[in-house]
Amino acid sequence: MTSNASMVGLLLRRLGGAVPLLVGVTLIGFLLTQQIGPDPVWELAGRSPTPAELTALEAQLDRDRGGVGRYLDFMAGLLRLDPGSSLITGESVRSIVGRSVPVTLALMLPGLILGVGLALALGYLAARHRGRRLDRWIAGVSALSMSVSLVIVVMLLQLVFSVWLGWFPARGWSAATFTDWLLHATVPTLIVVLVNLGYNVRFFRALWLEALQLPSVRAARAYGLSERKILLRRLLPWAFGPIMTRLIFAVPMLLLGGSMVIETHFGIPGVGRVFYNAVLSGDQPVILALVVLTGSLVVLSQVLVEVGVRWFDPRAGTR
Amino acid sequence: MSSVPGQMHRAHRPGGMSTPTGWHVVARLLPMVILALFAALALGAWVGLWATGWREISGPAWAGPSLDHWFGTNQIGQDVLARSLQSIAAAFEVGLIVGLGAAVLGLLVGALAGYFQGRWVDELLLWLTGCFESIPYYLLMGAVLFALDGISGALQLAMILSFWPAVARVVRIRVVVLRSEGYITAARVSGSHPLRIVRRHVIPHLYDITLVQVTLLFVAAIKTEVVLSFIGLTGSDSISFGRMLAEAAQDLLAGQYQNFAAASVLLFLLVWSLNRFGDELQVALDPRRPGPPLRRRLDLI
Amino acid sequence: MPVSPGIRGQRVIGREWALVTLGFRTRGLALMRKQGTVQWAWIGLLVVLLIGCNSDSSNPQAPVKVYRHAIDGAPSSLDPAQANNTYARLLVPAIFDTLYRYKYLERPYALTPSLAVGFPDVSDDGLIHEITIRSDARFADSPYFEAGRGRRVTALDVAWSIARHFDPASRSGATWLWRDRIVGLEFGRAIRPETLDVAGLEVLDETSLRIHLREPFPTLVHTLATAQSAVVPHEVVEALGVEFGRSPVGSGPFRLIAFDETQATLVRNENFQRGVIDLAAEGYDSDEHAGLGIEPIDGQLYPLIDRLEVQFIPEASARWNSFRSRLGTDLVMLPPELAPSVLSHSSPLRFQEEIARRYHTQATPEAGFVYYGLNFGNPELGHHNDPDQAARNRELRCALGQAVDWSARNLRFYHGIGERFTGVIPPMLPSWDGFLAPDPFDPELARQRWAQAGWTTTTLPNLVYGYQSGVQQAQHFEMFRANLIEAGYPADRIEQKVFPTFAELLRGIYRGEIDVFLMGWTMAYPDALYNLQLFYGPNAPPGVNASRYRNPRFDALFERARRELDPDRRIGLYRELNEQIVEDCVIMGSMVRTRLHLWKRHVHMVPDREIIGGFFLPFVDVEARTTR
Repeated sequence: MTSNASMVGLLLRRLGGAVPLLVGVTLIGFLLTQQIGPDPVWELAGRSPTPAELTALEAQLDRDRGGVGRYLDFMAGLLRLDPGSSLITGESVRSIVGRSVPVTLALMLPGLILGVGLALALGYLAARHRGRRLDRWIAGVSALSMSVSLVIVVMLLQLVFSVWLGWFPARGWSAATFTDWLLHATVPTLIVVLVNLGYNVRFFRALWLEALQLPSVRAARAYGLSERKILLRRLLPWAFGPIMTRLIFAVPMLLLGGSMVIETHFGIPGVGRVFYNAVLSGDQPVILALVVLTGSLVVLSQVLVEVGVRWFDPRAGTR
Repeated sequence: MSSVPGQMHRAHRPGGMSTPTGWHVVARLLPMVILALFAALALGAWVGLWATGWREISGPAWAGPSLDHWFGTNQIGQDVLARSLQSIAAAFEVGLIVGLGAAVLGLLVGALAGYFQGRWVDELLLWLTGCFESIPYYLLMGAVLFALDGISGALQLAMILSFWPAVARVVRIRVVVLRSEGYITAARVSGSHPLRIVRRHVIPHLYDITLVQVTLLFVAAIKTEVVLSFIGLTGSDSISFGRMLAEAAQDLLAGQYQNFAAASVLLFLLVWSLNRFGDELQVALDPRRPGPPLRRRLDLI
Repeated sequence: MPVSPGIRGQRVIGREWALVTLGFRTRGLALMRKQGTVQWAWIGLLVVLLIGCNSDSSNPQAPVKVYRHAIDGAPSSLDPAQANNTYARLLVPAIFDTLYRYKYLERPYALTPSLAVGFPDVSDDGLIHEITIRSDARFADSPYFEAGRGRRVTALDVAWSIARHFDPASRSGATWLWRDRIVGLEFGRAIRPETLDVAGLEVLDETSLRIHLREPFPTLVHTLATAQSAVVPHEVVEALGVEFGRSPVGSGPFRLIAFDETQATLVRNENFQRGVIDLAAEGYDSDEHAGLGIEPIDGQLYPLIDRLEVQFIPEASARWNSFRSRLGTDLVMLPPELAPSVLSHSSPLRFQEEIARRYHTQATPEAGFVYYGLNFGNPELGHHNDPDQAARNRELRCALGQAVDWSARNLRFYHGIGERFTGVIPPMLPSWDGFLAPDPFDPELARQRWAQAGWTTTTLPNLVYGYQSGVQQAQHFEMFRANLIEAGYPADRIEQKVFPTFAELLRGIYRGEIDVFLMGWTMAYPDALYNLQLFYGPNAPPGVNASRYRNPRFDALFERARRELDPDRRIGLYRELNEQIVEDCVIMGSMVRTRLHLWKRHVHMVPDREIIGGFFLPFVDVEARTTR
């Protein structure tokens, strides 16, 4: 039908619109690391380099060439899906990204999903009992959660769970078996849930409040439908879109920097930590590749959400 | 749960409170009092009324609380109370600068983009917004740090550059809605220059959501500064909560809690009271709640 | 990071979600029912994905000997060409062979042949060293060898491994080890293994190599025991290029199977056959090494463990927590903050009974020291053409040295277990003269001293103190500042400059932006010349002479000492050089930190982080237990 064709057309248009964004992002990233980042030559130079060696290193790292040439080279490499190798360690960027992104996802996704689930439940309770004691208690808890610092939660939970109780390893990462993964991902998951709970509960409470005002819901209640049926048949379907939106948008944010503190403190070789090291040492190929990756994810999520919106209701018009 | 009509009415009360008892009044006032106290402490420290000796080595290492040092001393003998007060001042400083900076920048970009919606200006500004949104804040941070090479203000600048896109997006939506209002159309028809319209008719209506954004950014800036200082990426030479917590990480190993207790409690109280203040501000700025759901949503966010 | 989703996520969602609500507002029941099934499908998919990351590995039946080591940083590359940091020094000797190594147990450190057979045959003038290597050394298996099987190590490999440092393509940071020493070895050209055309590295046959030197080189054998001199297979290096540092292949006792930012995993190298351990030859002393449980390893084949996991844990608290938690590391280098809770006395040093009962303990001085360096390029602080001004500068430097309170630093940062000394020859070296100068700290005297030299509060120079961003570094600065203010230095003349990384700090020093800096220096081999090179004129930045000290008399003496083959005369020269440094107040210092190690009782070893580095790993024995 025409709706399918227009859907594909929309998809293509949106993806096409992603190109300038990616170009812009890489350009900014390139300028940031080229002109004003740290000099990787010094990171690599040994104890006592001679000026000749420094010059040779610069040539090796391609830093003696002009910026424009290098930028074009990098973009050409991107099109070939070859983002080069790390200047500092020599590992290919594809390999770095390939091994660190799954780690970060396996680390942070459970916390994200659990957090959203818990916040959905709490938000629903708060909305249902709006103004009453339960609502105020939940509001209090979410205020607490919003006021606590990630750093403190990390330090405290590591202390409690890994040292005093000894239930979980204090650091490290292994996802070889399901149990291994559980052991290593539980404390970070707890941290993510605790720290984001307040914001999520707020958001979903507002969402449920809105949903509870829907004419169809009021009608269903007037007809005497049970609470559970109302929840399953009316509220959840309606709220599904916004929930998915929030989840999808959270993923690039995760990779962008949400995991860095946790990964550094728990010694997890994920993308946040890789990126942080690269920023400090001026490892341009790695930085640019990750910036492109997150930029693409942001665009992808925007596209996914818009397409999802259209699909669920083709009548949702233009902006 | 029954669905008695009476409950619906209660749900419509502003703020969601049922009856203002004494306890509730206290609960609502307490954060304001705390915040005012913190602001006074910060101002005094900034002006130099107290806590000027935060760098001095004025006592024995790792002393517990005493009359000389109310919060004790840290590893090299500096007074934790003085450092805490200076940290409060630093927090206010970073919160204000970043909050105002990012809000103003976001306001301008959002207003222009929203007003010229659909045209090339909008597309360009949206592109710029998207670009900055996709750049991780610590890349910006690192780059700006290296660029400014020790000049203070790198931290604030990087945070402003990181936070403004969020403000711009919110403002833009609001302006898109505003555009269809009567007075805007009238001004357009009367031939006023678009920028003048934006300045005189659009921006004044954005003050309320911008103000809300400032309070949110204030909190965000403080929390981000804590993280950045903790991992060492500030280049700043003065004291802040993040630095106190970084010291605390070492101190905890040695069984010393002065830094940790002082920093975490004070930071928590500050952020909590700021959050509550922001909530009250939102309620105060839009007493028509519950209004049409769309607006309500935007204001809540 | 909570803030980002809270602010950004919500904002971005606000726009899209507004549209969504508009759309959903007008939906019909039928559509909602369709949503229902779709949404359950989503949830089902999520559940399946979560459970799906379940790849059960078979439980190992046989007991495997695993040793879990932890160090406080990560090497970025395991290529010997870039092995110029402590962390690589642990791993590179485990993966590769060096011609010589240090004996496991003997202290002071003693060299012994490893890949080589016996010590070199040296000609009378000291310019020709002939070295024979073992014929039974093989590289680990790798697909880059013929038929995938590791081949024999030849003298050509040894020669090329040294020569390649001077090829720019290897990005080596270790040329300084043999710079201007070996005939025909100059930096700047490609060096191919087939036509190894370096006059000074003469390959006689498969197992013999002759090194021709430009001048006598008494510490040559020491350089051949460094991690940087490790022997690499040229086929693999050529095939992998810069990636060789991430996937190294060598002829050492272990081979690397995994390596990332947080951990390196190694397993026993089957091609490594060196016979059995001779504890007596390694320097075993029944008094010193009693109670460590290492006697049973005598006469056993080595390496003794099957699997080695090295974790990189820079954060002190995480390192300690990992050691204490049941599932963590087997050894920890104690962060100094923990010393009070682990020691019962700091001098003489004694561990608490409970700790000594639960773990093996070790307290050893580091092979290195910390000191404050001064920038001699600053005319108000260092060299000056006018001899009067130069003398005044000297007085200022010496006075500053008296203003710095090392004992307080020792107490506050190292719980009093550090050892203060003067100069650059720490007590662990044989060339130390045995004389421990008294603590020069005296702020009043410092103030008088620079006043007498003509410095007033208006003429005292502006001091820029540079340091790397970090809590401890900042605390060191604040102590330095407080010390100077106590001695009467104007507070506004003490500036700080913070650098985000150590490399940036070095660059700042190179550019001459810093006047004072705190430096930790670690020795790659136990010889005082290694420390004295810090002040050799030609080593000025970008070299190690961060102080930019340039004293022709010192330089001449240094060059003599460098060539002196007679050990006693050499030691005499070292002492003279050290006295020159102390007299000229080139540095303010110094102090040796004491390293505290704890390891669990089921591990039998004598670890050493310092000179030995990874050479002790093949001798580590672990009581076998099943892996978790």
